Amino acid sequence: MILNTDGTKPIYMQIAEWLETEILQGKFTPDEKIYSQYQLADLFTINPATAAKGLTLLAEEKILYKKRGLGMFVTQDAKKMIRHRRINQTLKKLVDEIVEEAEHLHVKEEELITMIQEAKRNREGDAE
Amino acid sequence: MNTIECRNLSKTFGSKTALQDFTAVIKENTITGVIGRNGAGKTTLLKIAAGFLQKSSGTIQVFNESPFNSLLVSANSIYIDEYVQYPPALTLREILDHNQYFYEKWDKKLADRLLDYFALHPMQHHNRLSKGQKNTFNAIAGLASRCQLTIFDEPTTGMDASVRKDFYRALLKDYLLHPRTILLSSHHLDEIDELIEEVLLIKNGTKHLHMPVEELKEYAIGVQGPEQAVGDWISNHQVIYTKQPRPGVAYAVIKNDFSAGDKAQGVKMGLQFSAVSTSDLCVYLTQPHKGGIDDVFI
Repeated sequence: MILNTDGTKPIYMQIAEWLETEILQGKFTPDEKIYSQYQLADLFTINPATAAKGLTLLAEEKILYKKRGLGMFVTQDAKKMIRHRRINQTLKKLVDEIVEEAEHLHVKEEELITMIQEAKRNREGDAE
Repeated sequence: MNTIECRNLSKTFGSKTALQDFTAVIKENTITGVIGRNGAGKTTLLKIAAGFLQKSSGTIQVFNESPFNSLLVSANSIYIDEYVQYPPALTLREILDHNQYFYEKWDKKLADRLLDYFALHPMQHHNRLSKGQKNTFNAIAGLASRCQLTIFDEPTTGMDASVRKDFYRALLKDYLLHPRTILLSSHHLDEIDELIEEVLLIKNGTKHLHMPVEELKEYAIGVQGPEQAVGDWISNHQVIYTKQPRPGVAYAVIKNDFSAGDKAQGVKMGLQFSAVSTSDLCVYLTQPHKGGIDDVFI
């Protein structure tokens, strides 16, 4: 991942999101130790305090838990929670935006659904 | 633990006041970016902390001692800027080899490897180096000294873009392995804002801001839109900076202390909100007066 440094999203949030994606993709399993703040600092050339803030954010959301002196570990429900939140917040917001833009452009509901189906087919075609 | 504690620190040079009632605390094992315009007092502060200059009034404690004439501070701190003087008779190799007698934690291997990486010839003499090479060499000495208090005053002056990047990466990697208190002054906050933990912004010899860089990133927000709408919306907020990008369009930077409701109302009025980079924000915060270079030509 390349960090977006134009200031629109704080670095620690980008770190948290990157870690979430790693967990979603199954690169870390429940009870597995995740990167330390120092490893993250080295990976992304950022201050370790910033990296720690990203880890703390995920700990507050119960996606990670802390073992004193050992580091941060992935919780049992991490993947489920990340998926749930991304569907309810990120995806829902994107859908709202799509629907709003479609209204502006007078695109009918059926037309919009066809567009989504087409996009999905194209992706599946690419994947093969 | 605090490495540096300043209380009402002042320094005058004749009739010129360089630092006035400066109060700040630098925590142990942090990297702090010391930011300010030319002549703001950055170098004076850093030199007093290193024991190079004597304060005029107030107090400063480094490792719980007054740094001026302190053996403890001299042995455990290094101050690097572009004017570091070395005996012209010595080669770069000899300078580095001599440094290990002054600095207990000197890392000879690191110094040699960095010298090699940055393609500096060990048999060269310091006074024959270009400005960029000189600063690269000084920075190597600063890193390899591993001093508990390491001060870099504008270390990257004259370095090319790739050397700058490598230097900052080397600084971070060595800090991760050997945590220490690092002060880094720069005109280019955008280059170092991911590296540092805290920002210390100096304006006219006093502390203007001192906060974690992540907080500074959320300190202010930019608002752009029709002149009238921007004017109405910002009237209840603390304005840091305004400009007119195009006729009829206004851009304002305001303190980020408004509610989501305020923002929603602004969006309805046709305003666009955007993040303000830390380096732009510091320029706005330290601007001596309203207006810009264009006003000189009126």
